[in-house]
Amino acid sequence: MSTDNTSRRTVLTALGAVAAAAPLAACGGAASGSGAGEGAQAGGDVVFLIDSLGDTWIPNNSAISSFQGNVWGHVTDKLVHVDADGQVSPWIAERWEQNADATEFTLHLKSGVTFSDGTALDAEAVVANLDHWARGRPEAGINPIGLFPKTYAAASAADATTVVVEFDAPTLGFIPTLGYHGSILVSPATIALSAEQQADLSQDIGSGPYVVRSWKEGDNVVLARREDYAWGPQALGRTGPATLDSITYKIVKESSLRTATLQSGQADVAYNATPQELASLQEAGLEVAVPRYLGFAHGYRLNASVAPFQDVRVRQAFQHAIDREEILSTVYTPDWQAAQSFLQSNVPEATDHSAEFAFDAALAGRLLDQAGWVPGADGKRAKDGQPLAVTLYPNPYLVTSQAIDELVAQQLGAVGFTVDLQLYDVVTYGERVTGNKTLSNYEVTRSFIDVGTVASILTSANGGEDWFGLGEGDETLNQLRDAVAGAVDLDTRAAAVDQLQQHVLEQGLYVPLEQIVQRIYAQTARLKGVTYNGVAYANYYTAHLDG
Amino acid sequence: MDRGYLGFAARRVGQALVVVLLAYVVTFVVISVLPGDPVTNTLRNPENGFTEADVARIVAYYGLDQPVLVQLWESLSRFATGDLGVSLRSNLPVSQTIGDVLGSTAVLAAAALAVAVALAVLIAFGTQYLPVRAQGVLRALPSLFLSVPNFVIGLVLIHVFALQLGLFRVIYPDSAWATSFAALALGIPVSAQLAEVLTAGLDHESRQEYASVARSRGLGRTRLLLRHLLRPSSLPVVTVLALTVGELLGGALITETIFGRTGIGSLVESSVTTQDLPVLQAVVSLAAVVFVVVNLVADLVHPLLDPRVRKPPTRPSAEREVLAQEVSTP
Repeated sequence: MSTDNTSRRTVLTALGAVAAAAPLAACGGAASGSGAGEGAQAGGDVVFLIDSLGDTWIPNNSAISSFQGNVWGHVTDKLVHVDADGQVSPWIAERWEQNADATEFTLHLKSGVTFSDGTALDAEAVVANLDHWARGRPEAGINPIGLFPKTYAAASAADATTVVVEFDAPTLGFIPTLGYHGSILVSPATIALSAEQQADLSQDIGSGPYVVRSWKEGDNVVLARREDYAWGPQALGRTGPATLDSITYKIVKESSLRTATLQSGQADVAYNATPQELASLQEAGLEVAVPRYLGFAHGYRLNASVAPFQDVRVRQAFQHAIDREEILSTVYTPDWQAAQSFLQSNVPEATDHSAEFAFDAALAGRLLDQAGWVPGADGKRAKDGQPLAVTLYPNPYLVTSQAIDELVAQQLGAVGFTVDLQLYDVVTYGERVTGNKTLSNYEVTRSFIDVGTVASILTSANGGEDWFGLGEGDETLNQLRDAVAGAVDLDTRAAAVDQLQQHVLEQGLYVPLEQIVQRIYAQTARLKGVTYNGVAYANYYTAHLDG
Repeated sequence: MDRGYLGFAARRVGQALVVVLLAYVVTFVVISVLPGDPVTNTLRNPENGFTEADVARIVAYYGLDQPVLVQLWESLSRFATGDLGVSLRSNLPVSQTIGDVLGSTAVLAAAALAVAVALAVLIAFGTQYLPVRAQGVLRALPSLFLSVPNFVIGLVLIHVFALQLGLFRVIYPDSAWATSFAALALGIPVSAQLAEVLTAGLDHESRQEYASVARSRGLGRTRLLLRHLLRPSSLPVVTVLALTVGELLGGALITETIFGRTGIGSLVESSVTTQDLPVLQAVVSLAAVVFVVVNLVADLVHPLLDPRVRKPPTRPSAEREVLAQEVSTP
């Protein structure tokens, strides 16, 4: 900002410059600019531009939001830390034990941990949080954490630092779930507040390395370092206070404005740039981070109860007709990785099954021939007068989805499929596509922190989502699901997950495309020491600004 | 300003209340016929992992399981007592949500209006002073202003003045400089209509006999313009000015989004995309109130600008139409 003395001259200069500069600036906006130079002070302040800060700040209701997770990750702590490779390590829980059938867990907490309102983060507070995650207060407008294990029975405080948690059935996924973005520890005083009070972020008290200095709904959140913080996760190699003085999350909805502002030096991080912008940002000296979350690889799940996918040969033909190398080279930068399974390869239990879905157009053609789909004069196949038709629904939560689906439509068309694309906005997509069991396919973008999640969604058992429309009809799938869900040790479970991946891919039930990156960070090269957790959120606890 | 005037005022206030009520009900109906609601849309997303029983209990908390008419009645009853309800998106009280952003939009709209009036006056006066050839450029400006969308103006201003020249920082959109440029982006398209009407008015008045007489008696151009031509020319401008309030509110939606300001416009944008009915109803009602009040004020200002309007209080509702014709009479 200019001072009063210089402001008049600046305006005149500016007005003079505008006629010549305006068209140029509108097109490019790529000049390196008038850096504000804040980085010089000790600690430093980071400005993070984001397209949204989600909806409500009620901790239980908002924690799933990929936007608000950025803020919660600094204001609150978790019982365990899960890194980008899915490795679970101690945090507020120093250690833990489980009984032989994985139905009872004992958590041993760090002592001396406090929330920023001064109350102790002890066993009683953890019990209050566990009950709150599992049950919420729906009658008061506060949801439970949807992904918290439904097998939860009760938790109790054995002493000030020991919590015993019981489940109705083996729940190996419990410990990793404590590192999920939903499982954020808040003060018992916050839990007791009404929905309207919890929706005021300044009343949500955590124990994290930062506290909320100020916030404005729909506009910004400013975090300030907590000086007495002393319980960071061991895995990050630091336990004391953070280095950066403050982190400002500012909403800038326009994507090109976020990156142009970053390039001008007025901000340090821009969230959710498009893959197409990344090369030019890197050329301009900025750094790009594309951390992968733990979860499913981006791909289609096919509905085996809907035409034309009742026939396994048609599913397999779909699987082999897709040239994934072409997708990676056309839509993405070299930062993206090829899929090896329907799980992201950083999931500890993921194994390489890429041979099951290798590109082979000739094989796809033979499979369709065997299934009785005959090519017509235009190359499109039909059987009994019915065309081999598939409609794809680009997923509005992934910016590259439409470009990929257009490419896939061409590739499928080359082996004789007739492919349509149906585009919907987020609301209509939620209404017509999500959960619609009459559609032949669904494009999956989904994270999880523990591989046990797959057992609860692939079939219809235990209120599952019946992803492939098989119900309980595939005996092998049912057995593998039960083996994963009922495992009481990790090695047994890993073996079952390996067989499950093989079976699902071989049957053409899941068609992987590429390893998904949903959170893209473009940032100044001065920002060092950033870490990314298992759900790909940037953590600035260990970060600092150079120079 | 006697009994006739009071009756006129009472009728106008009555009409205003009906307009606000209708705006409230129409918003409710329009949003209600859309598929889904924000709460269910979020909860049914399988990634959230909720069971149908969970969803049912939460939907019941918001009263969204009630028949539409019951919801409308409850909402209207609350509205009548001044309770605007709670946002379905943020869970914050609607009155607080609107209160937090109202000031920012008011400042922006007022500044934009000032920009628009200043530009319109500059253009219109310029056409009276400049030689005919140079006037062409000025007379083309309103068309140009109207045809450039305000988001383009906004982006150009940000790129030049914030990112290149560093006059303001994008992350502080409420600073004086940032507000000035946002007002410029919003005010430029609005100035076009005002400039057109004022220019036409001045052109018309300057061709009248009384103007020729004044000129022949040696009255200076500025004196003629300010003392004689401006007043009759500004009557239609006042009417147009009242109508531009709608344009300012609509334009604020885009300008606020581009400049990263939090205001009524950005609130509407987020509530529409999330079907946040309580907030939308409150904002639409507020806009209706503002619109009606501003037009009422415009009607009340007319008699002050033109003494002839005060004489026939019998047909006040036809005043403005009559005025538009009377303006041509010296």
